Amino acid sequence: MSDDDDRVFKALADRARRRLLDRLFEREGRTLTELASKMAMTRFGVMKHLRLLEEAGLIVTRRSGREKLHFLNPVPIRLIHDRWIDKYTESRVSALARLKAQLEERGTA
Amino acid sequence: MIGVQTTQVYQIFIKAPPERVWEAITNPQMVAQYFFGTQMEKATFAVGSSVRSWSPDRRTLWTDNTVLESKPPRKLVHTWRSLYDKELASEAESRVTWEIEPQEGGYSKLTVIHDRLEGALKTAANVSGGWTLILSGLKTLVETGHPLTVFGRSDM
Repeated sequence: MSDDDDRVFKALADRARRRLLDRLFEREGRTLTELASKMAMTRFGVMKHLRLLEEAGLIVTRRSGREKLHFLNPVPIRLIHDRWIDKYTESRVSALARLKAQLEERGTA
Repeated sequence: MIGVQTTQVYQIFIKAPPERVWEAITNPQMVAQYFFGTQMEKATFAVGSSVRSWSPDRRTLWTDNTVLESKPPRKLVHTWRSLYDKELASEAESRVTWEIEPQEGGYSKLTVIHDRLEGALKTAANVSGGWTLILSGLKTLVETGHPLTVFGRSDM
């Protein structure tokens, strides 16, 4: 479904939204208030970004009592990965990704 | 540990009715095609019963989970213990919930929640990449009748 891919890429094409995903990667099950606390934008702005991420399937929300908790859903990124990277290219790609990570780690040390 | 989640939520939309998604989760022949080749014993999925899965060569018991809740074709809850790895096997039991909700246009929304991982942090880190691959493979199998090509890779 290419519409779904469009939504995922559009959602990822924004630094603030990627930052929100990073914060959910650090710790999941966060509330809007928690997520809005360290963002340099209004609560309404954060809500808008979260809605876009949810529409793209990158965030799943669950109710827990009175709270609405946000979870990172990595599956849509996996689907994009599986579409273009098969088992024959996987090992080369991960070797390059490891090399990049190692070089960058050294660079900042 | 940063990036290790004690409640993990995975969601995917599958173009099939809930009954077919339920079948993919409970039919051993289908499970083998997206769950790292695991050989699941035929199971009733009744509450209190066990679901045992073996390595592809049937020599090692990979999981022996207990069904906690069963509402075909909408909800399945079972315990989880990673018996496929000695270190992980010694960690506390966690819980896996499968929710299947019918959607417009002939789609089902499948949500997998792996939680109660507070006493199983290594398991939590171990399964997080696995679930995404499993769900991607399950979707491909149900929608096309064929397994995903990345299935069976050795680095996961």
